[in-house]
Amino acid sequence: MKDILQLFCAYAKTGLKSRFQYKLDAIAAIFAVFFREASGIIVMYLALLKFDSINNWNINELLFLFSLIFITYGIFIVFFMALRDFSDWIKHGDFDRVMLRPRGLLTQLVLCGADWLAAFGHGTLGILLFILSANNVGITWNAVTITYYIITIAGGVLIQGAIFLFFSAVSFYFIETQSLKEILYWNVRKFAGYPISIYNKLIQSILIFVVPFAFVNYFPAQFFLRKEDMAAYPQWCMYITPLVGVVLYVLAYAFWRYSLRHYKSTGN
Amino acid sequence: MLTYLQFSVIKFRNNMAYRFEYLMGILNTLLNFLVYWCIYKALYAGAAEVDGITFSMVATNFIISLGLTNAFSKNEMFLHDKIKQGTIANELLKPVNFRMRMMFEDMGDGFFKVVFNFLPAVIISLLFTQLQPPAGVLNLILCLISTVLGYLVLWNISFIIQTWSFWLFSVWGIVTVKNAVINILSGALLPLWFMPQPVLDFIKFTPFDSIFFTPVQLYLGQLNGADILFNFARQIIWIVILYFIGDIFWKRGLKKLVVQGG
Repeated sequence: MKDILQLFCAYAKTGLKSRFQYKLDAIAAIFAVFFREASGIIVMYLALLKFDSINNWNINELLFLFSLIFITYGIFIVFFMALRDFSDWIKHGDFDRVMLRPRGLLTQLVLCGADWLAAFGHGTLGILLFILSANNVGITWNAVTITYYIITIAGGVLIQGAIFLFFSAVSFYFIETQSLKEILYWNVRKFAGYPISIYNKLIQSILIFVVPFAFVNYFPAQFFLRKEDMAAYPQWCMYITPLVGVVLYVLAYAFWRYSLRHYKSTGN
Repeated sequence: MLTYLQFSVIKFRNNMAYRFEYLMGILNTLLNFLVYWCIYKALYAGAAEVDGITFSMVATNFIISLGLTNAFSKNEMFLHDKIKQGTIANELLKPVNFRMRMMFEDMGDGFFKVVFNFLPAVIISLLFTQLQPPAGVLNLILCLISTVLGYLVLWNISFIIQTWSFWLFSVWGIVTVKNAVINILSGALLPLWFMPQPVLDFIKFTPFDSIFFTPVQLYLGQLNGADILFNFARQIIWIVILYFIGDIFWKRGLKKLVVQGG
């Protein structure tokens, strides 16, 4: 365990150093990521100036809902960048290098890949939204809610990790998985911040069963906010985020192990 | 002119090779449209109209501006990559105007996306929602002309930012911020009918509303008489202004350009 922690710190140090080699450029990139993601929030804010609420969710509740997406992504990307870009690792033969080292394959991938710029960009936005909204939505913070919040965040990170572990496994069969990720993750994430109850059955099913973002933000937020649109879903959905995370991750890991056998180096 | 059109044709043909990509493109456009459709359905909450704007006008605004956003998207790191890799030296030796060639290539791309991405998405979306038909034949023609002008406005903004790669380490950040600003202020995500007045007052002094919103307004027949001329004039004036700004940066940049090795 100590060994793994040391490895992570060493990777983090070199990662940060290389990312901040050109300081001004790095800061500009962090700001760009922050602003790109914030633009969706700004648009929502402007829209609510005209319409007041969306399905009875007011602006503060929506900001709280969105903050969960960004905070979990900010943490997720510290650990899972290598899985996000895994098809490049295969394409360039970098994965062969990982196989030659005396540590578990996935351990290395998780520890070494941190996109610090995205982490700061998304993380700052998530924390900012949390600060802006957390005290205005009637949450009483006590030991129970704080514990629930932390475990839920961990679960949300794990869910997204599992999704990308699954994509990585697919990369063993089809090297190029860009369009798949584009449509199943990036595009879905763009609208996963809104309460899922506003969508039609098709999109709701995608968000609950296919790419379960509903467990990253909507159901956990319902635990705190108890909006009436929760009546359409079973109450226990609010409590199973960590379970969904662990189960999905184990399944994705099994699929990954299985697919690993099909790995053929692209060579050079 | 014919020489440059060849660049467009080649780009168009290149795109034909990636069938899977364009299928995904259609799916993405449809998904985006469906999502905005649901969001605005919830915002409208059953109201027939808000500020005189009906729901089907909003849906029409989205299918047009999302379709055009998709069709107008291009590789904005093109010039950046050419400069950083030094291959721009070979490009400049060719007996064609580099800017014209770049523009015609992008237009070939854009035309491909309109035909194989935007139009199918429109047709499929007609199955589940009601779109407004164009207000008239003349309106449709004016809308098409204004779309081309809107594209030129957008292209020239992008070109200005791209020329900054002569000076900057990377323009990725600025390109990203620029696209976010355009997304907010052009009406692509929030129709300009619903913008707060102070924001609208600001937008009036920028080229952003002439990219998607002018074509949408012409299509819906919201402009007439002098307003049509005024909006066309605005588009053209912005194209001219942006072109000359781009020209200054481009010429200065070329003077500064040093390509090492060979």
